[in-house]
Amino acid sequence: MVRKRTLVLGLGNEINSDDGVGVIAVQMLETQLPEEADFLTTSEHGVSILELFLGYERVLLVDAIQSGRNRPGTVVELNPDDFGPVLAPSPHFSGLPEMITIGRELDLEFPKEIKILAIEVEDPYSIGEELSESVKAGLPELVSRARSELLKWRTGESR
Amino acid sequence: MGRKVVIEPITRLEGHGKIDIFLNDEGGVDRAYLQVPELRGFETFAQGRPAEDMPQITSRICGVCPTAHHVAATKALDDLYQVDPPSPAKKIRELVYNTFVLEDHALHLYFLGGPDFIVGPQAPKEQRNILGVLGKVGTDVGRKVILARKSCRDLITRIAGKVIHPVFGLPGGVAKSLTLEDRQKAVKVADGAVEFALFSLRVFEDLVLSNAKYMEWITSDTYTHKTHYMGLVDENNRLNFYEGRLRVVKPDGAELVKFPVQEYLNHIAEHVEPWSYVKFCFLKDKGWSGFKEGADSGIYCVGPLARLNVSDRMATPEAQKAFEKFCETFGGKPVHHTLATHWARVIEMIYAAERMKELANDPEIGDAHVRTLPTKTPSEGFGLVEAPRGTLVHHYKTDARGIVTMANLVVATQNNSGRISMSVDKAAKGLIRNNEVNDGLLNMVEMAFRAYDPCHGCATHALPGQMPLILRIYNSNHQLQREIRRNGS
Repeated sequence: MVRKRTLVLGLGNEINSDDGVGVIAVQMLETQLPEEADFLTTSEHGVSILELFLGYERVLLVDAIQSGRNRPGTVVELNPDDFGPVLAPSPHFSGLPEMITIGRELDLEFPKEIKILAIEVEDPYSIGEELSESVKAGLPELVSRARSELLKWRTGESR
Repeated sequence: MGRKVVIEPITRLEGHGKIDIFLNDEGGVDRAYLQVPELRGFETFAQGRPAEDMPQITSRICGVCPTAHHVAATKALDDLYQVDPPSPAKKIRELVYNTFVLEDHALHLYFLGGPDFIVGPQAPKEQRNILGVLGKVGTDVGRKVILARKSCRDLITRIAGKVIHPVFGLPGGVAKSLTLEDRQKAVKVADGAVEFALFSLRVFEDLVLSNAKYMEWITSDTYTHKTHYMGLVDENNRLNFYEGRLRVVKPDGAELVKFPVQEYLNHIAEHVEPWSYVKFCFLKDKGWSGFKEGADSGIYCVGPLARLNVSDRMATPEAQKAFEKFCETFGGKPVHHTLATHWARVIEMIYAAERMKELANDPEIGDAHVRTLPTKTPSEGFGLVEAPRGTLVHHYKTDARGIVTMANLVVATQNNSGRISMSVDKAAKGLIRNNEVNDGLLNMVEMAFRAYDPCHGCATHALPGQMPLILRIYNSNHQLQREIRRNGS
């Protein structure tokens, strides 16, 4: 299988209620644009997934966050540089700044561009496979935003 | 008037994984508690599902050790269906499992625990992070670590389908046999793994063992507990991550009991405290007598240190050499120093790598016969592996159609919860005096539990020195008096 230049990575856990929304979104996006990128999902986080990034030029992360700043279901774009090591709104990011630093320090084949799309969630703790109503309602927007990001990258390439 | 200090991670586990420190009127510590999250609702979630789904479902419970849950669940299914997998299937499972232990241990050694013992506990907090580690060991070593882990994880993906949530385990065997190419790849990765593990031992020896100050820390009373230890051993009482019997040794090193996982409930019980929803496992033979050390207390420890303490020897040559030096350095077993867990982890990396090599080169592992089909009616099954952090038990009951009616998991952190609590308490008492609660002291309290690498908390698994913590000081009326946020923001 030929490796693509873009990775779309869904972070979250499908059996932790809303926490799985990033995974679901990425699975949906893959059916829409299967040729556009490599699609992966994981419930691991932080530096333990560093090697998934290696060799890609761009990575789009799709995740659930619980910042309390937005209504559940709201989709936001986050910049990896926005995260201090403290108060990361999602545990999946708990090692992200460190991971990016390591990737760059070590001169590994680390992506030049990392974008993060996240959706505010209600309940990422309870074990269960159902999304909250609010998150279910926000899911189409999350998928369509992710889709536009991918298509933007494609346009950027052709320029 | 006593005060309450809370070290609280700000993550999705907020309110779950935290340390409460109760200060007394003299400014010292009255009592410190660690709380870790529980798997709420899992049992209900599992009920009514086909048992065959358990390896997939349980591997999703935890983003930290999916392979451990997958393999423990698969072994529970073997037991449930009373089916013995063919030898090649067991070897494939064990190969995948040792590869997983190696990459997970490497992550902890360099990235999670490394800042504590490679950079040093008293280094300024700006250096106590992964960049500090890289500064100390060099970027070449950093690259080596990342690439070694990558080759291990690629091998797991190749054999087990998916590194993140493996899909190869089935009751009675595995989903596919190894191709010649798979085996060649495994041999190559195993060779690299042995080299990497031995290299890691040298790094550890150069940076830690030769540092008198650090050795003083390791052996200090603050980080020492004389408890029982439990871990899996083979028929010759040698370390094994995948198969064998659980052996418990007393604080003086003598064997207390050895039993198969099916007898787990005869030997281990759970104690509940009003201040925590964590169930504290203890040895039934000894009973619960509180958070106490010693031969009369039921508190025991699992994980790398415990596994070396229950093993008479290592099953592979280089690991055995390292094990001998370990025992000699501390004047024999059992070693009661919690921080020696980091060294034990390196020795286990060597064993895992050497075992990978043995298995990858074993001609039988290429055999196509990798499944015995289950034919018996299921009712109850136990599965056990030594997860990187310690003994992991899966226990299921089903109806005659194999639908789950009961599922119980005992994870490493639960086995360790009594000793971890004691460690946090002892470190806090030993380190905090005169109301002085600063960053360096907090880090040293954290070190007490980071050595165990508690599996549950995303927060407790965060990078040392980077762990998002809030320190809250309350008066005896529980009114907030002061709040300190670690690492700014």
